[in-house]
Amino acid sequence: MIGWLRHHRHALVTTLRRLGTQPFTTLLTALAMGVAISLPSGLYLGLGNLARVASDLPAQPEISLFLNVGASAEQKQAIAARLKQPDIEQARYVPRDQALATLSASQDLADITAGLTENPLPDAWIVRPQASSREALVRLSDSLTKLPGVAETHLDSQWAERLQAALDIGRTVVWVLGGLFAIALIAISGNAIRAQVLARRDEILVSRLIGATDWHIRRPFLYLGALQGLLGGLAAGGVLAIAGTILQAPVEHLAGLYGSTFHLLPPNGTEIAAVLGLTTLFGWLGAWLSVTRALHQVEAAR
Amino acid sequence: MISFSQVTKRYPGGHEALSGVSLAIEQGELVFLTGHSGAGKSTLLKLIAAIERPTSGVVSVSGQNISRLSRRAVPYLRRNIGLVFQDHKLLFDRSVIDNVVLPLDIAGFDRRESLKRARAVIDKVGLLNREKAHPVSLSGGEQQRLCIARALVSRPALLLADEPTGNLDAGYAADIMAMFRDFHQVGTTLVIATHDERAITALGGRTLHLDHGRIGEVPA
Ligand SMILES: Nc1ncnc2c1ncn2[C@@H]1O[C@H](COP(=O)(O)OP(=O)(O)OP(=O)(O)O)[C@@H](O)[C@H]1O
Ligand SMILES: [Mg+2]
Repeated sequence: MIGWLRHHRHALVTTLRRLGTQPFTTLLTALAMGVAISLPSGLYLGLGNLARVASDLPAQPEISLFLNVGASAEQKQAIAARLKQPDIEQARYVPRDQALATLSASQDLADITAGLTENPLPDAWIVRPQASSREALVRLSDSLTKLPGVAETHLDSQWAERLQAALDIGRTVVWVLGGLFAIALIAISGNAIRAQVLARRDEILVSRLIGATDWHIRRPFLYLGALQGLLGGLAAGGVLAIAGTILQAPVEHLAGLYGSTFHLLPPNGTEIAAVLGLTTLFGWLGAWLSVTRALHQVEAAR
Repeated sequence: MISFSQVTKRYPGGHEALSGVSLAIEQGELVFLTGHSGAGKSTLLKLIAAIERPTSGVVSVSGQNISRLSRRAVPYLRRNIGLVFQDHKLLFDRSVIDNVVLPLDIAGFDRRESLKRARAVIDKVGLLNREKAHPVSLSGGEQQRLCIARALVSRPALLLADEPTGNLDAGYAADIMAMFRDFHQVGTTLVIATHDERAITALGGRTLHLDHGRIGEVPA
């Protein structure tokens, strides 16, 4: 146990010394990793902030209720009474003549309406419900459809749904990009470690000759990969912090124009820990892949 | 401790460096290995340390069959063997003391204890005032002594020395041979490949002679 700890401490000291002797290479590699990781994590942060904007906006869903052309006066009265219930915040009646007039007033449709011999539009209600959850809206809309004299209802929450769909696509893109850049990270780390292994071939061969195990030889390189990954994660944090600082003022200005006090939120502790943990892991993985191959090369060339 | 039975070593390219070598070396023995250049002395030592594997025949060291030794087991075999290489194999990017301490680091010794031991053995080979120097700044003879120090620092049960006094003047050669004799007296098994007739006569011990890969015992 003590021997094992000693091996690890020794490997760590060796690793830190190696990093220290090549500050420039270390810095460049960390920077390359940092820029690579900052792309997906920046996008992730941006989406998180955008989702917050979306949930802050008043959604104002509307239900359009179209009446049968032949609906009786009693039916119309019953519908009007139903729409005075407390689950309806507001209801506005749009008679078919008014609807046609509105259509004719709009430039592009004027030609079409002019050619009509009779009004094809039904009477309608524009209903603003009290509820805002999607299920409640669907339920209300269904119950209104069943009223006698109602031809059909149209639930208009498209805007919110479209935004949601766009955010979903954005999240998928984050994962795909995250995967791609994880591979890039492994490649960057692997390449850096390969150079290190080849630069230390004498040391590796001599160590082997005097009784070093595979693990003893690998360990410092694995530490190097993991540490380099961690530095890469920190560099990504730096890149994002700078980007956030630059964006903060313009974003607040834009929000101010909309009368909002919105400001950018930085990542939380869990997210930071996750990014650092993952970059460390992928740095280690790249080192592991490349050290195995490079050791074979070094020993075959003996 | 060491036994060869009908060992043949053919290098890739077809050159037969050892042909049908059989020998036995007991624990605690001091054995000299002589022979012309290219006779196969280094090859024989490399087979003992599992640096090369025999083409045919059986090499066994401390009861372990070297040809069957797994890759994982080789490091542990080597930790019990002190190796003095003909070409030194020093690390030029670290100091004298760091070179000597390397086998102890690899074996996982406590660092402070290691440094103490390393200093003691560096003192023995007469390099104490060069402790912080780098091997490039050492003369050929000093490099050789450094290599010897590294082989001795882990107090191995078996020491394999390939021309350990090749670059040394008579004075240092005698000192080194005296060190070897001390080790021999505390029970270390030594196999020394050398051309140094004076050392052989001074230390006594058994001499094996190689001639074009074939072995013969030299009567004392
Ligand atoms: N790696 C190798 N590949 C091919 N041939 C080799 C290899 N190593 C040694 N040989 C050949 O095997 C023969 C024995 O070599 P070895 O190094 O064992 O000789 P030696 O007795 O140690 O010689 P010297 O006194 O010059 O050190 C030589 O002819 C040499 O050319
Ligand atoms: Mg030789």
